[in-house]
Amino acid sequence: MSIFSFTLIFAMAALSLCLVMTGIRFAIGPTLPDRITAFDLFVANVIGIVAIYTELTGNQDFIDVAIILSLFGFLGSISFAYYLMKSAR
Amino acid sequence: MFEDINFLLIREIISSVFIIIGVMFMLISTIGLLRFPDFYIRMSAITKGATLGLGFILSGMGIYFNEPDMFLKVMLIIGFTFLTSPVAAHVIGRTAVRNKIPFWDHTNLDEFKDYLHKEHSAHRDHERDNTQV
Amino acid sequence: MKTFIIHSLIAFIGSYLYFKYGEPLLPYNAVWAVFVSTFIMFVLWLTSASYHRAYFHKLPKAISFIVFFLKELVIANLRVAYDILTPAYRMKPTVVAVPLSVTTDLEITLLANIITLTPGSLMIDISADRKFLYMHTLYVKDDDVEQVKYNVKHGFERRLMQLTR
Repeated sequence: MSIFSFTLIFAMAALSLCLVMTGIRFAIGPTLPDRITAFDLFVANVIGIVAIYTELTGNQDFIDVAIILSLFGFLGSISFAYYLMKSAR
Repeated sequence: MFEDINFLLIREIISSVFIIIGVMFMLISTIGLLRFPDFYIRMSAITKGATLGLGFILSGMGIYFNEPDMFLKVMLIIGFTFLTSPVAAHVIGRTAVRNKIPFWDHTNLDEFKDYLHKEHSAHRDHERDNTQV
Repeated sequence: MKTFIIHSLIAFIGSYLYFKYGEPLLPYNAVWAVFVSTFIMFVLWLTSASYHRAYFHKLPKAISFIVFFLKELVIANLRVAYDILTPAYRMKPTVVAVPLSVTTDLEITLLANIITLTPGSLMIDISADRKFLYMHTLYVKDDDVEQVKYNVKHGFERRLMQLTR
């Protein structure tokens, strides 16, 4: 195994650890805005995992998934925040 | 002179360094999300760390593939993330203030009291109007 | 400002088309791509001297603004990372009301986005009469709030006003 693929697998493992820790915050977060923040970080982590998986397999088509995901993550957190603002009134 | 250099090896090394730096930023911001005591501190600390880490990982990937199409897509994702992440942070923060999420005990709120008072009393007036109708 | 955005888009798309469809004399990699787009930008900048005199003087300021912003971004990120990794908290969170000199929508949006992108500071809201910007910041030295306001006004706002006015 070359050093390069070792680096990629190590990065994949570290990002999975990030996902688990974000999940803990998502579970114990005392309020709803905490959960929205954790959701934002979820999306960023998954984009990173998709990027590293693209590099590991060498198939360039997977990067389109990351583009779509970055669009939809922004829409998701904005609509959650808007719903929260409306329901507070 | 240039024929002796293994360009694939150079690209792999540069890409590895970029990815390691990006993953370190992501890991640090996630630990910060777990450790910090207050919603606003978590918000202001983590969103930017994740954005910078993502930028490093993606540019490492663009350097490894070494093609114009890939570079265009990578620049698209980085530009979009840097545009939208502060907007999302701002909207969520303002929503949290309106929903009366408490600040940390040591927070210095001297210059913010007028705004908080106005905002929350406006809420109370609104609710009273609703109940009267 | 508008001319700057249009010119950088033209430079980006031009270098992309050159490497994709032209028959490049240079081998493609990231260093040469940056070099070609800088070259197109430089040619556009030189031609603009004949029809848009103010823009001719503004490009060096734009470059220094971008360099200053990247430097602030990395420094603030490292400071927050140090605070996360060591057990004791060194931060004193404060909500500061920064008085604004900029007036138009575009300038206020840009200023708020830039301040939110630097770690350790978060815009919360703007006051109703558009005079103050409420900013949640983490690091205040010796409880000196005026120093933070001075840094924001003379670091980001002054450079931004030089660009847009």
